[in-house]
Amino acid sequence: MYTLLIVQLAVSGALMGMVYALIAYGFQLTFATSKSINFGQGELVMLSALFSLTLIDTGLPYWLVVPGGMLFGVVLGLFVERAGVRLALEQKSEGWILLTIILGLLGFSAAENIWGRDDRPFPTPIPSDPVHIFGIDVTPLELSVAIGVLAVMGLVELFKRKTLLGKAFEAVSADRDAAQLMGISATRTIQLSYGLSGLVAALAGILVAPITTVGPTMASVLILKAFSVAVVAGLDSGFGVVLIGLFLGALESLTSFYLGSGWREAPGLVLLILALAVRPNGVFGKASIRKV
Amino acid sequence: MNKTILAALTMGLFSLQAYAADTVKIALTGPFTGGSAPMGVSMRDGAKLAIDEINRAGGIQVGARKMKIEVIERDDEAKNERGALIAQELASMDDLSGVIGTVNTGVVLAGDKYFQEKGLTKIITPAAGSASMTQWSKAGVKDLSIFRFSADDGIQASMVVEEAINRRLNKVAILHDSTNYGVSGRDDLLNQIKSQGNKLQVVATEKFNIGDKDMTAQLLKAKLSGAQAILIWGIGPEMAAVSNGMAKLSMKVPLIGGWTLSMSNYIDNAGKNGNGTMMPQTFIEDPITPKARSFIDSYHKAYGVTRIPSPMSAAQGYDAVYVFAAAVKQAKSTDTHKIKDALEDLKEPVKGVIATWKHPYSKWDPANEQTHEAFRRAQAVMGMVQDGRVVFANKTDRQRLMKSAGK
Repeated sequence: MYTLLIVQLAVSGALMGMVYALIAYGFQLTFATSKSINFGQGELVMLSALFSLTLIDTGLPYWLVVPGGMLFGVVLGLFVERAGVRLALEQKSEGWILLTIILGLLGFSAAENIWGRDDRPFPTPIPSDPVHIFGIDVTPLELSVAIGVLAVMGLVELFKRKTLLGKAFEAVSADRDAAQLMGISATRTIQLSYGLSGLVAALAGILVAPITTVGPTMASVLILKAFSVAVVAGLDSGFGVVLIGLFLGALESLTSFYLGSGWREAPGLVLLILALAVRPNGVFGKASIRKV
Repeated sequence: MNKTILAALTMGLFSLQAYAADTVKIALTGPFTGGSAPMGVSMRDGAKLAIDEINRAGGIQVGARKMKIEVIERDDEAKNERGALIAQELASMDDLSGVIGTVNTGVVLAGDKYFQEKGLTKIITPAAGSASMTQWSKAGVKDLSIFRFSADDGIQASMVVEEAINRRLNKVAILHDSTNYGVSGRDDLLNQIKSQGNKLQVVATEKFNIGDKDMTAQLLKAKLSGAQAILIWGIGPEMAAVSNGMAKLSMKVPLIGGWTLSMSNYIDNAGKNGNGTMMPQTFIEDPITPKARSFIDSYHKAYGVTRIPSPMSAAQGYDAVYVFAAAVKQAKSTDTHKIKDALEDLKEPVKGVIATWKHPYSKWDPANEQTHEAFRRAQAVMGMVQDGRVVFANKTDRQRLMKSAGK
C-alpha cells in the first residue's frame, strides 16, 4: 500500500514533468544552433493552445486541430526568429534576450485582447476517466501527454540524425563557422531550429491544455519549471531533459506530500541552484571548449 | 461651418450639464475583465437591470421631483492598486451619490478608506471576505459610510460546517489556497467547527497555490486520512483542478466550500466532475417565485444569455440598487451623507429578488459589524452543482423560499 502511494505520487508528478521536458526541449533546439533561446517560449505555448481552441470552436475535428495548432507554432517560431533574433545574431549582440522577452509580452497582450483573460476548458476526445494500471490511477489524458512528448522528441532526433537537413543542423550546432565554410547556411539552419522549437511548444500547449485549461497565464508556471529543467539537464543534453523533467515532476509531487503542499516549488529551485553551483553546464551537458 | 459645429458643441455641453444636475449619480465598480469577471460582470449587469427598470418608470422620487439614475462604470480588474486609484477618483467627484460593487476583498481593503474619508456611501457587493467590515470595527470608527450587501464568509463557513454535520460526516479535510482569501477561509472554518461543538474532526489541512493544476498530493493525504468530505476555500480554476483530481483518484466524497464554487470558471472547468459540489448561495437561478422568474427572464433577454455567469452576484447587484434607491427616496436628496443616514434607518421594506429587505441596516456600532451587514443566515441557501448549473441542494430550502414569497 505504502509503496503504491509513492508510485502514484511519483507517476502523477512525472507525467506533468514530461510537459516541462518538452518545453525545455524547445529551448535546447534553438540553443544548439544559435546559442540563443526564446524567452517568450511560454507565450508560444499559450498562443498555440488558444489558437487550437479557436480551431476546435469552428468545429474542426481533433486530429486536424493538432497539426493546425502545430503549424501555427511553427509560424510563430519563424516570426520570433526573424523579428527578434536574426538581426541581433548578425551583429553578434545579445539583443535577442530583450527582443524575445518583448515579443513574449506582446503575445501575452494580444492573447488577452483576442481571447480574453478567462481560463477555459479545452475539449478533447481523449477520455479523462481514470484507468487502473498495476494498482495506480492514471488518466488516458495523462498518458497521451507522455506518448506525445516522447513521439515528437523521437521524431525530431531522428530527423536530426537521418536526413541531410538534420545533419546540417547538427553541423551548425557543433561549429557554426566551420559549417558555414562547408557551404551550410547558418541562417537557414537557425531558422529551421526556431521553427522546430515553435512546433514542440505548440504540441506542448495542445497536450497540456486539457489538464491545465487554456488562458493567457497558462504557461507562466510551466515555463519557469521548464527553464529549470533545461538548465539542470544542460542546454545541449538532448534526451537528458526527459530524465530531469520526470525527476523534477516526481520530486515536486513527493515533496508536497511529505513536506507539505507549501514546499512544492522548493525542490525545483534547490535543484537549479545545485546544478548551477556544481555542474554549470548541466547534469547531462558537455563542457564546451572554446578555442580562441 | 466651423461656427455651427462649435455652437452645437457648446449647446450640447450646456444641455449635458443641465441634464447632470437632474440625475442621481451612482458608480458601479468591479472586475469586468479577468478571472473574477463572471462575478463583476453579473453584478454590474444585474445592477443595470434594476437601474433600467427604475429609469423606465421615470426615476427615483427625490422630494418633489423624479430623478433618473446615471451610471459611472469602473473596471478594477480585480487588482488592488487599480481599485485604490478608482476609489480616489470617485471620492474626488463632488456630485456622486454613492458607489455599489467590488468583488475582491483585497480591492475593498485597498480602496474603501478613500470613500470613508470623504464620507461617500458605498454598498459592497458581492465581496464576502470578513476583513472588509472588521477593518472598521478594529479601527474603532464611530461613523461609517460603508455598507455590505453580501453573505459574509462567516455565514458561509457556518453553513459549510452545518452541511457536513447534517450529512452525519465525522472526518473532514480542509483544502484552501494560499491567498488571503483562502487562509482566512480556513480560519473561519476551523472557528466554526469549534463553535458548532467540535462534531467534525479535521484529519488533514492542505493548501495549494494559484495556478496549481496537479492536486494529487493534497488529495491523497485527504484520502489516506479517511476524510469523508472535503471542505474547500479557493477560487474557480484551482477548485476545478481539485474536482478533476478527485475523479482521477476515484474519491467520491462530497466537496463543500465557499460560494466561489458557483463561479462559471469552476463549473465549466470541472465539467461532470463538478456534479454534487455544494456551496452557500444567496440566489439560485430557478424561477420559484414570480419576482425571480421576471428577474431571470429579463436578465437572459437583456444580455442574450441562457445562463447568468454568477446568478447570486447579479441578484445582489439588482437588490443593492433597489435598497440604495429606497434610501435616496427617503433622504429626499442626492447628498451622499443624507443617503447614508437613510440607509441606516430604512423605514419602508424593499422588495428584492432575493428577499424583502426590512430595515437591513442600523446605526453603525463598532462593536458589532452586523449593523452594516444586510445578510443573515436566513437569506442564504445551500446550492449544488448539477450538469453545469447551480440548483438547490436541499428541497426544504426551496420550499421555504416559495412559502415566504407566497405570504
